[in-house]
Amino acid sequence: MYQKIALAIAFSPRIEALIAEVKRLVLLFDSELILIHVGVKTPELEKKLTELIKKNQCDPAKSKVLWKEGKPVKMILQACREEKVDLLVAGALKQEGLFKYYMGSVGRKIIRKSPCSVLTLIEPRVKTSEFSRVVINGTQLEITPQVIKHGLEFSKVVKADQVSILNEIKMYGLQMGTASEDSEEEIAHTRRQLVQNEIDYVEQILKDLDKGKLKINIKVTGGKWAVELARFCEKTDANLLVVGDERKLNFFDRIFPHDLEELLSTLPCNLLIVKK
Amino acid sequence: METLNHKEVINLLLQLAAMLIMARVFAEIARKLKQPAVVGEILAGIVLGPTILGSLMPGFQEYLFGSHEMSNIALDGFVQISVVLLLFIAGLEVELQIVWSQGKNALKIAVASMVLPIIAGFVVAYAFPEFLGVNINDRIVASTFFGLAIGITALAVVARILMDLNLFKTQTGLLIIAAAMIVDVLGWIVFSVILSLSESGSGGLGVWPTIGLTLAFTLIMLTIGKGLINKTLPWVNKKMAWPGGLLSLSLAICFLAASFTEFIGIHAIFGAFIIGVALGDSEYLTEKAKEILHQFINNIFAPIFFVSIGLKVNFIESFDLGVTGVIVIVGLLTKYYGAYFGSRLAQVPRRESIIVGFGLSTRGSMDIILGLIALESGLVSDSLFIGLVILALVSSIASGPLMGWAGRLKI
Repeated sequence: MYQKIALAIAFSPRIEALIAEVKRLVLLFDSELILIHVGVKTPELEKKLTELIKKNQCDPAKSKVLWKEGKPVKMILQACREEKVDLLVAGALKQEGLFKYYMGSVGRKIIRKSPCSVLTLIEPRVKTSEFSRVVINGTQLEITPQVIKHGLEFSKVVKADQVSILNEIKMYGLQMGTASEDSEEEIAHTRRQLVQNEIDYVEQILKDLDKGKLKINIKVTGGKWAVELARFCEKTDANLLVVGDERKLNFFDRIFPHDLEELLSTLPCNLLIVKK
Repeated sequence: METLNHKEVINLLLQLAAMLIMARVFAEIARKLKQPAVVGEILAGIVLGPTILGSLMPGFQEYLFGSHEMSNIALDGFVQISVVLLLFIAGLEVELQIVWSQGKNALKIAVASMVLPIIAGFVVAYAFPEFLGVNINDRIVASTFFGLAIGITALAVVARILMDLNLFKTQTGLLIIAAAMIVDVLGWIVFSVILSLSESGSGGLGVWPTIGLTLAFTLIMLTIGKGLINKTLPWVNKKMAWPGGLLSLSLAICFLAASFTEFIGIHAIFGAFIIGVALGDSEYLTEKAKEILHQFINNIFAPIFFVSIGLKVNFIESFDLGVTGVIVIVGLLTKYYGAYFGSRLAQVPRRESIIVGFGLSTRGSMDIILGLIALESGLVSDSLFIGLVILALVSSIASGPLMGWAGRLKI
């Protein structure tokens, strides 16, 4: 699934946990590991990194360290493009302060601009995170069939216990509000139909996919999908949320947050963003 | 405090009962004929007003709507509140995330579908003010008002048509919805500015302060206002009776915002609209709550407003075939072609562009409110207002079948 997995490292206190996490993924997906650091290469840092790689028993034949100098976001993304990385792993804080939110941290800038899929880990651990409860965004968007396929593939590899596909009925309030011109029976039918349409949509996508032994639930909700996804993840204590990203976000999106930006403002759990 | 006497109370209650009953009867007939409820409600007003009941049973009509001045003032209060609430619900319908998701394409379509009718409407009204019945002393403002009134789309009506045609969730449907939302927002901002042009000559705020205040109010409400709503709503949902607490407080902040914009010199309905957008965009206003607000306002206050239109003018005496013909033709063609060319500019395929054109041509709510404000401000004549109402009726009746026909085109 992923031939090359990259990790952006910053020698923060979480570096060891992040390397442990990415090493597990590299083994699971049988991938090549690429470690990217933007900053001056000093013997001290090089030694520290070598020790960490050795400690985590990363296969030297399938590991590569890239030292880049320049603007962190730009250089990390450039390295991903050059190396044709399939998955970029990054750590991000669960919540940011107001200033950082509007100005953007390195982690979030990478998420927004990355050319490949991004896995954001909110609490990386040396003992590694489990992805037992996975939630996939099934809301009707152009990228959704790809997101569901990607999410299921990932879930199979990490052996998830439960996969929930959450689907949002667009403008449920407006649709039901205008349906109030109808009789009670017709309104009930409209309500059922709206739910059924969403289930049919997901089932249509699932029909042609290999689901392995995964237990898949389809949930339908009304509201804004990003907010509903965050709530659902918190309620079910999910440890991975899979969503798609169709376009680059800009500063304006942060003033008027919506969709993905709303998720990024308060990461409910680890987040896998599938890029188009 | 002065209160209504015994007879005035009876009269007011009879007025409201007659309006709601007739609105329901005609809305049901419209429903049977697969037409929007608004069509039935407007016709109910024409039947109850001077046009039909006033001609057939003048004594009864006079007793019902003309015998007690105080009752009529109280009824006018109901109508004013209905207009404010209609704008509030129009704001709630605007979902910024839908607008963002459709991006520049929706913006292109919305702008094109507004610019062409505004320019054409302005030119026609400015060139032939006496024929059309626009106030010659306030020619620029009245002409722009006319252009704007024919450039508006009725979001709720088009949403219903899209649902009936199973187009709501398609790319074309969402594009129409998003464009109609942008038309609403732009339309009300332009409306506030035009109104200030009219008031500048009579001690109003003036153009630039109004533009500044309008934009500042919009921006503050959609950022800080929305932030405050997001902080307060979870508490309201959790601690107060549901949906009682939410309903009463939503309406209270709607009236507060409306009174604030009226106070600073922008029309009250603009405040109601923008607070509706801010509240509707809040993640804590559940879809269920929106549904309740929709039902409450659409089935009680909307009929009162739409029936009241027929009470204000005589649709036979003031009807002018030439004026109505010009308004309907200019209104339909410019709105259709504006939206069509906007879609083509956004690289939407031809058949879908035709659907978008017919979809955005749907009227029957905000355009009538605009027309009524212009009528009450003395900017337009009764015959021009009647033309606008007939344009709303024709477009809301014809849009569904035309969109269905366009969908079957093999091009």
